[in-house]
Amino acid sequence: MNTTGGTWQRHFPTEKSGAQFFPEFEMRAKAVSAEVFRVPSAREARETLIRLVEAAGVKKAVVVESPLQEAAGITEALRSRGIAVYTDTEEIAAHAETADIGISGVEFGIAETGSVFQDGCAIATRLVTILPPLHVVFLPSANIVPGINEAFEIIAEDFKSGYLGFITGPSRTADIERVLTIGVHGPSRFAIIACDEAPKGGAA
Amino acid sequence: MESVTRNLKKEISEKLKDETLRGALGRFAEVYPEARAKAYENAGDIEALREAVRQMKIETVAEIEKVADRFEAEATKRGVKVFRAKDGDALKAYLVDLCREKDVKRIVKSKSMASEEVHLNPYLEAAGITATETDLGEWIVALAGQKPSHMVMPAIHLSRFQVAEYFSKELKTEISPDIAMMVQAARKELREKFLRADMGISGANFGIAENGAIGLVTNEGNARMVTTLPRIHVVIIGYEKLIPTIKDAATILKVLPRSATCQLMTSYTTMISGPTPTMVKKGGKWVEEVKEMHIILLDNGRLRAAKDEKFKEIFQCVRCASCLNVCPVYTLIGGHVYGHIYAGGIGAILTAFLHGMKEFEQFHELCIGCRRCTTVCPGKIDIPGLIEELRIRKVKDKGLPFFLKKTFENVIANRKLFHSLLRLAALGQKPFQEGRLIRHLPLFFAGLAKDRSLPAISDEPLRDRIGRIARTSAYPDKRVAFFSGCTIDFVFPETGESVFTVLQDLNMEVFFPEGQSCCGKPVLAMGDEETTKRIARDNIQALEEQNPDVIVSACPTCTETLRHYTELLKDDPEWGPKASAMARKAREFCSFVAEEYEKRGRLGKKTGGPRVTYHDSCHMKRVLGIENEPRWLLEAAGCEIVEMKDADKCCGMSGIFGVKYAELSLPILEQKIANIRETGATIAACACSGCMVQIQGGLDKKLPQVKMRHVADILAERLVEKENGGRGHENQGHHRQ
Repeated sequence: MNTTGGTWQRHFPTEKSGAQFFPEFEMRAKAVSAEVFRVPSAREARETLIRLVEAAGVKKAVVVESPLQEAAGITEALRSRGIAVYTDTEEIAAHAETADIGISGVEFGIAETGSVFQDGCAIATRLVTILPPLHVVFLPSANIVPGINEAFEIIAEDFKSGYLGFITGPSRTADIERVLTIGVHGPSRFAIIACDEAPKGGAA
Repeated sequence: MESVTRNLKKEISEKLKDETLRGALGRFAEVYPEARAKAYENAGDIEALREAVRQMKIETVAEIEKVADRFEAEATKRGVKVFRAKDGDALKAYLVDLCREKDVKRIVKSKSMASEEVHLNPYLEAAGITATETDLGEWIVALAGQKPSHMVMPAIHLSRFQVAEYFSKELKTEISPDIAMMVQAARKELREKFLRADMGISGANFGIAENGAIGLVTNEGNARMVTTLPRIHVVIIGYEKLIPTIKDAATILKVLPRSATCQLMTSYTTMISGPTPTMVKKGGKWVEEVKEMHIILLDNGRLRAAKDEKFKEIFQCVRCASCLNVCPVYTLIGGHVYGHIYAGGIGAILTAFLHGMKEFEQFHELCIGCRRCTTVCPGKIDIPGLIEELRIRKVKDKGLPFFLKKTFENVIANRKLFHSLLRLAALGQKPFQEGRLIRHLPLFFAGLAKDRSLPAISDEPLRDRIGRIARTSAYPDKRVAFFSGCTIDFVFPETGESVFTVLQDLNMEVFFPEGQSCCGKPVLAMGDEETTKRIARDNIQALEEQNPDVIVSACPTCTETLRHYTELLKDDPEWGPKASAMARKAREFCSFVAEEYEKRGRLGKKTGGPRVTYHDSCHMKRVLGIENEPRWLLEAAGCEIVEMKDADKCCGMSGIFGVKYAELSLPILEQKIANIRETGATIAACACSGCMVQIQGGLDKKLPQVKMRHVADILAERLVEKENGGRGHENQGHHRQ
């Protein structure tokens, strides 16, 4: 079993979530050094990612697919630019440690904290999320809940077992002289590509 | 563990000389309150959030066995092996057996204070197992061969230069003291350890009974590595971290990051329910397998606390350490001195249960009871109250040191003897006295008077002046018994006179019950409940003799203690009801006078008086809840109030502490004096005689142009001025609502 069990999408949209919470989400996420790109369509989501990987000089990517990424044709676009892309769990295990970028999908965002929520039961998801120095996630921009309490109303329904995580900006520490330093054990860069256009089938 | 007798005075003096520590903690204490407030800005009603945590934890501890059973059953159902460890030895034996059985040689750990508590790492090492701390701060203190000095920021006491030295030694290469570079060096070194480890050990910030999940709140990402990469994951979790439902995690997550690190959420907040997949290399190929997961539920004294009517309160702790961040003593000397494994006041209480009373006794005196921690604790734990309770139990159990016991029983509880001694002291101090203060003391007492003048015992105590100052009234509005407390009686009798002036001006008949003595607080603070009861009975007798309408005190600690007699004597069939009746009449001076002024329309703001800054005494604000009334009175007397920074931070006096630990009391006082200086006020006002002793002493040495006055003095002076046809101070007609 590779997911926690929920089809998270059935929680969205409701009157308790939606793109109206996106501006606050974006502001909070940026305040903790996340890079946020809101795009209207899957095509622009792809173009944004391509600009990002080209600027970062990415040669090797580990990718866990999500409906939004598939709709945007992310994997093909990366490969067509000569980037080595690994998508199988065994390949990801072998290459995540040396990859320049990890790419995955997240279920929803929290406006109150600028966090994204990810079902990380699949080992591949956790590896791409934590090992490479740059982590990019795809998020349907309508999937924003206002606060922690609303997030837990959703989680409490589906969390029977598995590995769930909130990610809020890049890895950080202040353990030496309380000086904020980005990128300790996890990624030093964390980017969110939020797409207004829902992928076919509806699931993120 | 063997308990080592500590030399606390020596440890304190070393830390006070440690410039790195002083600088780091001082800067942190400076910025924390504002950063915390900012983090809570978008969280809604902060008091409601704290109350929610408290309620949820109270309900949980009431049925902790049931919650633990459910947690175990749910985790087990999902394939986790749950082991309940009654103490550290049981935990360590289980873990080492597991390592042997599964051929574990290398362990990576993410932060677990519980593993520090049971001294896990040295034990593993002795068994030939390498355990590496991967939280940067924990790794640094481990390399330094030290213990964490703060629950959230383990290495806050070290500088970048010290860290560079430890890194250079460990990595066998020259590491420059550049923080970003050092963090990268740690990343590289520890990444190897993550990838090669056979087992990951994590702590847990909460454990959910509903689905057997554990929650981890981290910033670095190391906990995700520890719980993802190695083939075995072991969780060490204390019973106090258990919560009933998934939604209860939201209650914790609303407050924990905000209080701990002033973040709205940490970088990685993770919840794991049951074993999850991992990748294992077999014959050169990566294969997906379900990992092995163990949860060790640690008791080690926690369940004893859970069954204790008072100490079950420690289950309300979420380990955010905000209590340390606002503690005047912790922020001077840090957790190595003020603590055992767990630091600060909460550390003292946890130590009593997890490590024993002997360890507690070595440092509990460092809690000065200022109660600042109680204003920030997300679980609303009465930390100073619990420490006082432990002191009482210690005394019940083992008694007081002989000298103190004799002093309390034979001197303080014997009013006549106590007062004779105070009068003798007035004579004995003469050679050192200048005016109303003692500026120099001979020989070893000199430390007491360094940077702080001590108040002189007055030649004529208040009780000898009553005949001159008490006025009778044919139709008094109220009959008031004045409970002066020792300090006003013997050190500040003029303030006592002011109280008479102000109350008599309100057409009240004020009298001074002769038989009154010390309220008993200093005795109670040392844990001697029995002697305090004797004192209480004597005072109730004296105060009630003339059946007053109100019993007024101009010292908040005295008022608090008079009211506490109810609790103290509640099991006494004769004195219990008398104590309650007396306590109902006990009023603090400022709040009482403000109420009376209000009735008479005299509480309006006036102008033309001096610039005054007001110091909130700890017990005035945080026990009695009085902070506006003294300010209103000052404004009614025409004063211009200039607020000082941290007006409600302790002045460092705190009874016996101020004398016994003068070296700590003085730096706290220095801060207060600096804050007073900043305001440019000519008068520092307060409403507590204890604070007056301390602050006046500091002003005399460091800022003699500023005078210390009790609110009663300022009001009385205004009345005298008026009587003498004083000018100005027109009523502006702003009445209080």
